[in-house]
Amino acid sequence: MNKKKVIQYLAPFAIVGIVIVFVLNFITHGSIQHPGKSTYQSRCAQCHGDHGEGIRTLTPPLIHADLPVQQFDSLACWIKYGMNHPIKVNGVDYDQPMYPNDIDEIQTANVINYMCKEFLEHDTSVNSIWVKEKWKTCK
Amino acid sequence: MRAKNYFLLTPIFLLFSCNSDKLPVYGNKTVVVKTENGKQTVDSIDYVLPDFAYVDQDSNVVSSASMSNKIFVTEFFFTSCPSICPKMQAQMLRVYEKHKDNPDVQILAFTIDPVRDTVAKLKAYEKKLGIESSKWHLLTGNKDSIYNLAEKFLVSAAEDPDAPGGYVHSGSFILTDKQRRLRGYYDGTKEESVQKLLDELDVLLKEK
Repeated sequence: MNKKKVIQYLAPFAIVGIVIVFVLNFITHGSIQHPGKSTYQSRCAQCHGDHGEGIRTLTPPLIHADLPVQQFDSLACWIKYGMNHPIKVNGVDYDQPMYPNDIDEIQTANVINYMCKEFLEHDTSVNSIWVKEKWKTCK
Repeated sequence: MRAKNYFLLTPIFLLFSCNSDKLPVYGNKTVVVKTENGKQTVDSIDYVLPDFAYVDQDSNVVSSASMSNKIFVTEFFFTSCPSICPKMQAQMLRVYEKHKDNPDVQILAFTIDPVRDTVAKLKAYEKKLGIESSKWHLLTGNKDSIYNLAEKFLVSAAEDPDAPGGYVHSGSFILTDKQRRLRGYYDGTKEESVQKLLDELDVLLKEK
């Protein structure tokens, strides 16, 4: 009986607490995070930068980059298998190996969509089926 | 009574603030026992980085002698490193940009893959980073000697076929003072940690 009373007394506080946590989370994160963001940050950002800025002429930028838009169909292959040849991005030569990423087709699609939205101004959205199709064409 | 208590605490606060201005000295001290005029005195000597000499991207020798009276920030990397190095370089560029015009501050980056990282390769890497060789030395030399030096810096570097790129190494930036004493360790892959390095480097520059 006494235990029940305690629970009855504390329940509203617990509910208010949970609501506060949700509201704070919403305020700090602004909105729901893009599903490709965490993959980008853990896999891509160390070379391409948190904001897609790249590192000087060591690693190419993604922000306003022409190459990923021009060769959009190769993106899925580059992400999965890496790249080991010189490239030109926005007129600048880059020659630093890009390493492969062991991520699945859903993560790959998410990260491509994140890049399109955040950096490339490329109004396209891809899905995991598209990624799997592209992977078949990788050299 | 309360005001009096706070008053008593002031010297303690002052003591702490003085301590925090001085950076620690890393490494084991050596104890030296001296006998002078029949009197025995015990002294402890700070750990000092041993002498070294390596070749940079311009084939110039960079040694403990050429670094004498310089503060230097050290990292271990390799040019084909796929994992943490690009991020480390992006962070080291912050140190470089801030102290570009200060001759007292130097950056030493030792390759742990000297077989592939020849002087020519390091020169190409310098161009990619857009840095001056007089400030940021990309150093190569005998492999065992470099690994041994990493140990003397109290960090790790080793070959590991399972690691990305074939090597494991610490992502540390190491701060060394004008007397070649190790004064700080920072995570070169973390922005906040490198901010701490920049702050502490300023403290070290003011140190007499």
